[in-house]
Order: sequence, then C-alpha cells, then structure tokens
Amino acid sequence: MPPALDTRLPESRGHRGAASRQSATDGWRPPIATLALFLAPAILVYAGFTAYPVVRTFYNSVHLVGPNGAAEFVGTGNFSTALFADPVFWTAVRNTAIFTVVGTTVDVFGGLLLALCLFVKVPFTRSLRVIWFLPVLMSYVVVGIIWVWIYDYEWGVVNLLLRAVGLGTLAHSWLGNPDTALWAVMVTHLWKWLGFNMIVFLAALHALPAEVLGAAELDNCGWLAKLVYVIIPMLRPTLVNLMVLSFVGKMMIFDLVWIMTQGGPLWSTETVSTYVYKRAFDWNTFDLGYPSAVAVLWFLIIITFVVVMSLLLRQRDRLEF
Amino acid sequence: MSFAFTVRCAGFGAILSVLASGGLAPAAHAEDVTLTVWSHEADEPAKVVFRNKAAADLEKSHPGLQVKITWYEKDGLYTALRTALPAGRGPDVFYLEPDQMHQYVTAGYIMPLDNLVNWNQIYPWAREVWQENGKTWGIPQEVNLNVIFYNKDWLQKLGVSLPANQQFGQAAFLDLIVKARAAGMTPIAQGVGDRPYPGAYILGEALLHKLGKDDYGKLWAGKLSFADPRVVAVLTWVKQLADAGAYPKDFMTMKLGESFYYFYSKPGALMLPMGSFYSGRAFAPPDKGGQPADFPAGVMLFPAMDGGACNNCETSGIGSSFVINAASKHPKEAAAFLDAMSTPEMAQMWINDVYEPAAMKTTAQGFSGPHAAYLDAVMGSQKGIEYFTGMPLDVIQQGQCKDAFAQVLNSAFPGGLLSVDKAVPTMNAACFGH
Repeated sequence: MPPALDTRLPESRGHRGAASRQSATDGWRPPIATLALFLAPAILVYAGFTAYPVVRTFYNSVHLVGPNGAAEFVGTGNFSTALFADPVFWTAVRNTAIFTVVGTTVDVFGGLLLALCLFVKVPFTRSLRVIWFLPVLMSYVVVGIIWVWIYDYEWGVVNLLLRAVGLGTLAHSWLGNPDTALWAVMVTHLWKWLGFNMIVFLAALHALPAEVLGAAELDNCGWLAKLVYVIIPMLRPTLVNLMVLSFVGKMMIFDLVWIMTQGGPLWSTETVSTYVYKRAFDWNTFDLGYPSAVAVLWFLIIITFVVVMSLLLRQRDRLEF
Repeated sequence: MSFAFTVRCAGFGAILSVLASGGLAPAAHAEDVTLTVWSHEADEPAKVVFRNKAAADLEKSHPGLQVKITWYEKDGLYTALRTALPAGRGPDVFYLEPDQMHQYVTAGYIMPLDNLVNWNQIYPWAREVWQENGKTWGIPQEVNLNVIFYNKDWLQKLGVSLPANQQFGQAAFLDLIVKARAAGMTPIAQGVGDRPYPGAYILGEALLHKLGKDDYGKLWAGKLSFADPRVVAVLTWVKQLADAGAYPKDFMTMKLGESFYYFYSKPGALMLPMGSFYSGRAFAPPDKGGQPADFPAGVMLFPAMDGGACNNCETSGIGSSFVINAASKHPKEAAAFLDAMSTPEMAQMWINDVYEPAAMKTTAQGFSGPHAAYLDAVMGSQKGIEYFTGMPLDVIQQGQCKDAFAQVLNSAFPGGLLSVDKAVPTMNAACFGH
C-alpha cells in the first residue's frame, strides 16, 4: 500500500519526525558488548601504540632501566643530570631552539608570500604551484640525500654555481662546517615544507569574502595596507594553526638531521630528538631511563610553548565574514 | 541489535581470523625448525654468498631445519636488536662485533659458546677477543689488519719510493702529503659521513706507535690523559697533516663506500687508510662500485713516529662475528649454523672469495683466486708486526667518550675544525678519569 500523502506544513512535519525519531531511540540503548566490540580495535591500537609508550616513557624517566626492563628508581636524578651536568643536551636545546624559531618564522611567512604570489596570479601560476608543492610529496630520506649531494664540496650544485660565477672562494663544505651546517639543514627543511604552508594559505585566501576585499579597494586601500589590515587579520586562525604545527614539527626534527649530518660536525646540528636517539641506541648501554627523561623534559617544554603560543595569538574578537 | 547478534558477529569474526591465520593450512611437522639469523653486510656480495652457502649446507645436512637470514646494514641491525631483544623477539643468531660484547653480556642477551661450538675450527687468538668473565660469547670470522692502501702509479709519479720496510717516517709522510697536494692529488681518500671511526685511522695508529700497546690501551680506557706530551705531539703532527690538506674537502660528509670509489675510481686519491676488509668492496665488480681490474693498489704500513715506543705495532681487529641469543629456543641448531660457517672449507672460501684474513682455521697453503696478489701483499707487509687487538671504539666502554671520539677525533679534528688546544680538554672531559 502506498504511503499516505502528508499535507501538513514542513515545520510541523519536521517536528513530528524528530519527535518520533526521539521516541524510537528512547527505549533502545546499544549493548555494552556491541560497543566494546566495535571500539576495542581502536582502543587497543591507541592503548598499545600511543598511551602505553607515553606512560612507559614517563615511568622510565625516573628509573635507571636495565636489561629486560629491570628498573631502579632514581627519582629526579636523570632530570638533574640533563639540566645541570650534560653540555651536549644544552647544545642540542640551543640548536633546536634556533632551528625552531628561525625555521617557523621563515616557513610560515615564506609560505604566505608564495601563496600571495599565486593568489595575485603571477606569470606561470599553475606551473609554480606544482613546482613549489612538489617537495612536500617527497620523503625526508630522498630530500636529505638529494641535498647532501647539492651541498657536496667537489661536485655539489651550490659550489659549482659559486665557482661558475667567480665566487669559488665562497665554496666550502656546507654540511661539514659547524658554522654553516645547521643553516644548510634548515634551508633543506624549508625547501621541503614551504609548499605545504603555501597550499594551506592559498586555500584560506580563496575562501576570503570577495566583498570585503572589494570594499577595501573601493576605499582606495593600497596593496600593502590591504594585506596588513584586511588579509592577514582574516587569515589569523590559519596563521596561528600553521605556526603551532610548524613549531611542534621543528621542535621534534629528527629524520632530516639524521640523514644529512647525524648531529655533526661537533654537535653543531645535534637536536634534542637526535640526542635522545643517540643516548637510547648509540651509547653502548641498554638504559632507556636517561633518554626518556630528556624526552619527557622536551615534551613538557613543547606543551608549555604550544599553550603559551595559543594564548598569546588567540583571537579575542571573532571576525565574521 | 541483540547481544545474541553481537555474539554471532564475534563468532564469525573469530572464524575468519582463524582462517586468515592459516588455521586450515597443512600442519607443520613437529621436527621442523626455522632458525632466524640477522646479519649485517648486505652490501658485500661475497659475504652474502658465503653465509647463504653455510645456511644451504646446514639445511642439507639437517632435514627439517630452515635457516632464514635477514640482511641489514649495521646501524639498522643494531637498532633492531636493541628493540627486539628486550621485547623477547630477537633472532636465534645475530651479527655482532666485539665492541658491543660488554653491554650484551651485561644485559644477558647472548649465551656463552664455550661448550656449544667447535672451537678447534677457530684460531685461539681470535677467540680471545670474544672472551669476557672467563667465557666466550661470539664466534669470529673476519680479521682486520689496519694498513694504508696506495696507488703505486701515483706514488711513482710523485718521485717518491716506499722504504723497504713499507713504512714512512713521521716527517717523510707529512712531506708526501704536501707533495701530493702540490701535484693536485687528494692525498688521503677518507670520509666520516656514516661511520664513527675512519677519520681516526691515521691518528689512532700514530698514537699506538708513539705510546706502545699498554699506554695506548690506557688512553682509551680513560687512564691516560690526552694532555700527556706524547699524545699532544701526535695530535700536533696530525693537525699538520690536516692543515696540509691531507683529507678531501668533503671529508665530513663522504660515506665509507664513497671513499673507496673516490680512491680507486673517481676522482682518485693517493692513499686510503683502511682495515683489510677493503677487499669486501674493492673486489666487487667494477660496475657495482669495485675497483678497476688494472688498478695498481699497493700496501704500506702506518707511519713510524719519532721516538715511538712501538713503531712495529699495528691494530688488528675482529670484525664480522656471530652470537647466539640467550633466549633462543634452538641453541643447538644455532651452534650448528655457527660451526657450518667455520669449517676449513668455508675458511678457504672466505679467503678466496672475500679476500680477507679469516679467524677460521684453514688447511690450505697460500692464496688462490684472481686477487691472491692482494692477500699476498697484505700478509707480506705483516712480518715482525706486533698486534694491538681492537679498534679504539672496541676498547672504549663509556658512551660519552665514544661520542666524543666520533665527533672530535674521528671528524672535527682531522677535518681541521679544532685546534690541539681545544681537542685535548674536550677529550679529557669526556674520557679521562671516567
């Protein structure tokens, strides 16, 4: 039998429909076992691969961890060693801080600049968008190896170009000199990630309301004023998110440094993550207590900075457009 | 949805799981054993063939036994072991070098082999390297002798003759470096991009010559200061070599394998200080990175030091070795695999195909094969030599000192980045008195 035609007003129909749905679910609760069955895989994976390692790292950080997990409680001993008696730790902190502050600033504002270039449709926009985004799709291993070659003293592109333009005296071992190694790694990192920030900014720019930008133009707002007073304030949420993401990523930088320099020469590119790895796996000891303490310290520092950044940069007046 | 439905779903899922895990597959024979082996040296074809042959021989003589070898590079292998062993998931047999022995023994991850393997097949002096606490923990294969390989034609081109004892003096060696640089040659092909030791070959052997075996051992054990005048004298000489341009400009980033190619192919270098495991890479086919067939390689000893306590001393090391996981459920089969790699026939294969001195005994006289001349040259240089067993990293036990060795003596100092005045306190802070 065909259903009867409902001739009531949409509002009353919707209300009635919602009410009937509500009454239908009132008497039914999913069985606990069903819930458990469907949630269990995700919970197990999360507990096994995220929660347990984190808890275990905190536990290890206050222990001297012997073979087969045997642990001797040492309280804050590992932390005080790291903070007061380990110069390499502080070198790693300094390098990571430089990498993070400079890298985040250039990364985010460089990405914005590239996005603006594409937004105003500079020549070859389509090609540039692909070219600038391409490095994002490459793995760190590939990027690292390519740039080690690029920086090679004998036949690397950088030195070949310098020699070709008569600046051969500036050619040197970019990754082998403590004065330039960290910056050389940073350039590689930026080369890889600028495209990511660019694409996010470009999406945000295209989402900006044309009326607001048009109104600014009607008010004779110049290009720079429009950027500073209209575009950037409206991009602020995107800007903050990218800054936080970039900041956290750089505070944990490991893979690129490991592939390119392994923290050398003379600890000049040692980051906290590479140092934790070395202490855990390269120090001829199975003790995971000390590296865990460094990891916990760094985790707390990152959390603190992220909270502070979010508080400082949060938008008090919500923009509506 | 009822509880019964849930149970039915779960039951069906369980059945699927059983099927997926091969529950209906033919049952394995009770006597079947799979022996798992983790080995380094994936990029050395002759060693891969050698170990695969030992595995195949063992499988043939032990029906039901399968040997599954997983190939790694060293860093990856050690990292995998450090996570797998504490988790109880390690292989039955794995590659290890003597510098790692102490920590694995202390941790209880490897088992003593004294009563498990046939020690009649191994030279006693090689066995000694693997002894700690009165027990033997690993079975050695590879013997490294530290020498300097050089290009005979280039040396002749410089108008320099190698002394009859195959060893330059301190000043003559420095002069050779200067001459090579002046002639547009790279004097020494060496890089520290992926290893913590090659940059210290010249320095280490010079220290051994100057200090003699006892004090040299004390230096790495933290019982002799780097401010000792003899150590400072050697460091000053090595600094002179570095300042004279002994090493390539990309010394810091050049990898071990690349330094071989640099030496005998492109762009070429006068010398390559290296362990006798040189052959592992050099005698690969030229299109796979090996040396050209007509390359005029010669062998010289490390330079003698002025007033040296033991200028006829030389570092010998035990490289490739294998141990048995203390948690292995198949120790007898594991020991049988170690024995299968150590027979006199396999020892001969090692010498003939890998072209390295072996820790395994062989009954054959002399060397054969297309590169026999190489082994003749290496072994011919060893007359009257006294050996110090163990590379510096084998002897240093303390992590901070190892790290300082890798960063300072292996790279920054020979790379010309540090003065003697800065290197001495840095090394003392990390090593001396610890």
